[in-house]
Amino acid sequence: MGAAISARSANPHHRRPARYAIAIAIAVTLVLVLVASSILNYVYLDTVAGSTSLYGLLAIALVAVVAFATVRALVHEQAERRRQFMRAGVVLGVAALCWLLLVDVIVFTYSAGLGVAAVCALACLPTTGFALLVLRALDRNETEPWRLVLLAAAWGAVVATSLVIWAESLWQAIAIRTLVPGPGLDVSTAFSAGILEELAKGSAVVLLFLVMRNEFDDVVDGIIYGAAVGLGFNFMESVSYMTHLYAVFSPEGLGGEAAGFQWYARQVLGLFFGHATYTAFVGAGVGIARQLPDVRQKIFAIAAGFIVAIGAHFSWDAWLSAFPIDKSLEIVEIHMRTLIISGPFTAALLAVLFTGIYIEGQALAGQFRKEAALGTGAILPEEVSILMNPWQRFQQRVRAMGRGGLRAYLLVARLQSAQIDLAMERWHRERNEIDAPPEADGELRRRVIRLREQLAAAVA
Amino acid sequence: MVAAPVDQVPTLYRTLLVYAATSLLIFIAGLVEFAYFEPPGQHTGLKATIVGVYQYDPDHNTLIGPDKSSFPRTSQFAAVVDWSSLPQNMIFDARWYDAFENIVGSAGPGAPQDLAAHTIVPVSVPPGLQHNLPGHYIFVVERWEGGVPVEVIGRRVVMVER
Repeated sequence: MGAAISARSANPHHRRPARYAIAIAIAVTLVLVLVASSILNYVYLDTVAGSTSLYGLLAIALVAVVAFATVRALVHEQAERRRQFMRAGVVLGVAALCWLLLVDVIVFTYSAGLGVAAVCALACLPTTGFALLVLRALDRNETEPWRLVLLAAAWGAVVATSLVIWAESLWQAIAIRTLVPGPGLDVSTAFSAGILEELAKGSAVVLLFLVMRNEFDDVVDGIIYGAAVGLGFNFMESVSYMTHLYAVFSPEGLGGEAAGFQWYARQVLGLFFGHATYTAFVGAGVGIARQLPDVRQKIFAIAAGFIVAIGAHFSWDAWLSAFPIDKSLEIVEIHMRTLIISGPFTAALLAVLFTGIYIEGQALAGQFRKEAALGTGAILPEEVSILMNPWQRFQQRVRAMGRGGLRAYLLVARLQSAQIDLAMERWHRERNEIDAPPEADGELRRRVIRLREQLAAAVA
Repeated sequence: MVAAPVDQVPTLYRTLLVYAATSLLIFIAGLVEFAYFEPPGQHTGLKATIVGVYQYDPDHNTLIGPDKSSFPRTSQFAAVVDWSSLPQNMIFDARWYDAFENIVGSAGPGAPQDLAAHTIVPVSVPPGLQHNLPGHYIFVVERWEGGVPVEVIGRRVVMVER
């Protein structure tokens, strides 16, 4: 897939689309929120977390300035300079993620110590990893690249949690000091969590939509990225709650039980029903907007996605306490509670997802057939039925491995990805929803044919 | 002649709009609930006198030491309310909430003269536990109307240390 992307990006863009300006505006806003959060950490948190937060931010800013100045001074050729800036940007992005992760680890897990936090994180890794695997398996027609799915999950775990911590704390502090404790306060807290957390998580999906348009094709992709962001957020929140409740209940000898219950509630029962469902709705809105022709409809679709996500999140937080848990039926009631409050939202999301998969499948099948009929050699008539079915694609790869080993398997995988990319590109072009020039299709065809030649050599 | 395939993306768009409309109804329900429990225009300007929060001996129902804002989790503690300063024709109560918003101590609801015997409002250790759970505890004195608390007229936050 990576090679296919470079094939697409090889096509020159004569002007930068306006969406990049929107992406930069969102990114700058998010950075400002993180800067404000760092300053608040420094002022209000204990020495280690506060210093890590502020000095880490300063260090990254300093490295960014030095990198920018160095590239400008040493590299004079325009294309090379752009490539070096790109590399520096990626490295700085990774550094910023590491810095936020460190701050998160200190802020969210200090209550029970690093050892307990590490055990909690290890307990949550397999379940979250399993959920990400299921997500990619659901995306049966054109699987999204791991690097973007993991980036989305990392955003949810590290960036989104950092973005909301102070805003939620401030809201909560004001609410506790002004409202009557009870259902009214619960509703206020639910609005706070729904609005702030979905905005923080959803911004990742919007940025992916604006910047990685080649890998953001439709409603299915939106749901996959949104759910991945939600799973990342759920991971960090699970670790945070598990360590906190362990610290609260461990003096009573109930720490393990409290942490274990949180793990089950968040990493098993709520794995798909909670944050994954909420933020997937943001993705659904953005994904649908991707394929709408009218700007007003695009804005409505994105806003609708956010509204549903906030509504689903709000329902859970506001009305959770409306299901009092009786000790004798606790195990049944906990499951019923999740099914009754979150179940309808997850079912509604699955309806959109499966419809999206069906639409995508039908569209790709049509494009495979049209491309095969062109006789360019990029897609052969006998390959159409194979490309339409993930199981047959897998069997084709296995057959290739039998003839040419692992290299042949990987080459077939790349060939299939390139062919699906070509069909997807054709679909977007047919719908007038692409800003790459028409030459991009030819480039993708040449790439498919090159891969076919390499495969023929590998199995010869 | 072959009919052009129907574009199904607008169907998804309309479906999402229906979901969003449903979510707006959920928000309205939330706002109605909020308004019911936080009815507007309920500010009377009344202030309850919370004398202080003290370490508490449940066996003798006595207070120990000075007014404090933090306690170790092994300590019992209680708030002291001066009900006499409140109007006799209104209904009030006092409640302790732990860090999980569970009610862990209360007095009332009732008129101030009925609450006169409950000036000390202790925190109870939750059943099954040996000591208080750590975290922020909130003590509130509330004015009631129509069978629900509608206004907080006194508030103290204390910290139970780990």
